Amino acid sequence: MTGRGTSMTVTAWRNLWRNRRRTLLTLSSIAFGVFLAVLFTAMQDRNWTDMINLAARIGAGHVTLQHVEYLDAPRLSKTVQGTDSLRVVALAEPGVTRAVERIAGQMMLNTAWESRGAGFIAVDPDVEDTTTFTVLGAIVEGEPFTSANDGGLILGERLAANLGVELGDKVVYTMTARTGEIVSGLARVSGIVRTGAPSVDGGLSLLPIDAVRTVLGYAPDEATQIAVFVDDQRKADRVAERLQAGVGPGVSAHPWHEIQRELAAFIALKVGGARFMEALIAVLVAAGIFNTLFVSVMERLREFGIMMAIGWSPGRLFRLVVLESAWLGVLGLLSAALITALPYWYLATKGIDVSGITGPTTTEVSGVAMPATFRVGIFPEHAVVIAVAALVATLLAGLYPAWKAGRVDPVETIKLV
Amino acid sequence: MIADGNSAIVQLREVTKVYRQGAVDVHALRGLTFDVAKGEFTAICGPSGSGKTTALNLIGALDRPTSGSVLLEGNDLSQLNRRELSSLRRDRIGFVFQAYNLIPVLTAYENAETVMWVQRVDVAERRRRVMELLAAVGLEGLEDRRPAELSGGQQQRVAIARAIAAGPAIVLADEPTANVDSETADRLIGIMERLNEEQGVTFLFSTHDPRVMERAHRLVRLVDGNVDSDERRR
Repeated sequence: MTGRGTSMTVTAWRNLWRNRRRTLLTLSSIAFGVFLAVLFTAMQDRNWTDMINLAARIGAGHVTLQHVEYLDAPRLSKTVQGTDSLRVVALAEPGVTRAVERIAGQMMLNTAWESRGAGFIAVDPDVEDTTTFTVLGAIVEGEPFTSANDGGLILGERLAANLGVELGDKVVYTMTARTGEIVSGLARVSGIVRTGAPSVDGGLSLLPIDAVRTVLGYAPDEATQIAVFVDDQRKADRVAERLQAGVGPGVSAHPWHEIQRELAAFIALKVGGARFMEALIAVLVAAGIFNTLFVSVMERLREFGIMMAIGWSPGRLFRLVVLESAWLGVLGLLSAALITALPYWYLATKGIDVSGITGPTTTEVSGVAMPATFRVGIFPEHAVVIAVAALVATLLAGLYPAWKAGRVDPVETIKLV
Repeated sequence: MIADGNSAIVQLREVTKVYRQGAVDVHALRGLTFDVAKGEFTAICGPSGSGKTTALNLIGALDRPTSGSVLLEGNDLSQLNRRELSSLRRDRIGFVFQAYNLIPVLTAYENAETVMWVQRVDVAERRRRVMELLAAVGLEGLEDRRPAELSGGQQQRVAIARAIAAGPAIVLADEPTANVDSETADRLIGIMERLNEEQGVTFLFSTHDPRVMERAHRLVRLVDGNVDSDERRR
């Protein structure tokens, strides 16, 4: 030690351990606070990402290319032309993994004994799979379409029951063409899907895209939307912006939250609540740190008086206490990393099955089923924000005690003679 | 006693200090006037309440007089701001306290070094000076011990080394022998005498200890906040 000499950093470190129990308790509170914040945020990051990806795979992708008026007036007359070239443009964007064309709208389903209104999505079975359209993986009876011109119809389980149809039964579907004319097609029930989401199972049907094009009189490269998928849902806004610039007039590019507004509002509400909770945790942790540092400073007023008497400046004393709080912050983060690693790993890889809590009926938001297993997966930038916030909170909590240390009156504190 | 202005390190002129204690004004100093010249080994003695503490606080730039002036090396302390007073204490004044008052988390070496450290003295120079001083006060081999691992006498020797390490104009020593046994007290006084004689360090003590009074080169007796006698032995 004599070789190194005095150092502010070392002095602050040693001061930290003068009351070992108090320091350990404070480190525990920082570590526990960060632990909670990380798991809380990681659970949300993962949960919302899963829901957004699921919404994209049920509906219209992370980014949707469609007629500029389709969002406000979703009619089958609002189509986009040249879907093949639009898909090429979309796939050229960094981060875009898939781009598929679809026709989506409303129709009437009629059987000999029942009529029901339902939503439909017409898909191309040659380019779609469960990574672009989750519902295809929920077929519990029958088979997927074999071609884009397949004469089949896939119904939600409850919708089929309401129509009173089974596999192989004929159904006439009726739509409004772009001319305003009512047009019809005939299909046989070729599949039944069960997703667990009531709005899907009770109100959605699937058709092969070319069959619908024929009924509606669409061109071979005409559809109501192109669903674009990205490798990270957070890129949706950026991709939508760039695509908007590249697709030309008449077509608009919407990120998922403009299409799935209910889901976006739900997530925004939950995220807002989570931020409030995180802020509350930060305040509680900061209060604990403040208490530790303040008591520590008040116990050392005489010592600070001595230090000031022998020439330490108020600024140097201020910096010493700030360094002590910085050490607390750094050690608190290291402790947090230690206690968070194992639970995080478990929750990231295994998760917690919450189906016992939610019951047999899956909760859904905007047609998107909430995951039955909670897993965690924090975005790296959120982990950085939590770490920086913990450090900043620690430093802020140390400012007043540090100022107090720098304001010590040597005469009052040491009573020299 | 007023010294020749050129050799006086400390000059007190008609200094008064009034403390307010509840509704009562306590007159700690009543027009105190005396000088301390460079190289002196002076003790201030007197009964409790005579003003010894107050005088040392004022000379040490820790407090301000109610009236009169305190000059250190010609600088009127009342004219200096908080930062300037801090710099003055760091660079020109050494303190030795009755209760040692070492920084508990620093080793003997670091405590002795701390004033030079805040002065930003070069590391090698600090090391040379501290090792020399710790040897001078008989603490070789104990450099890495913290205050809690040292006896009272050893701690006070570290405090003396700390006080003189940065080459102050004067060392103010508050009852430096009050908390140690007589043998240790003799040794401490001897160390300070030697530093005074060999290195020309100026010492000003506040003391009740007859041994310190006996060996002081000059003895200033305060009574009721003023000089009652000023006896120069050498």
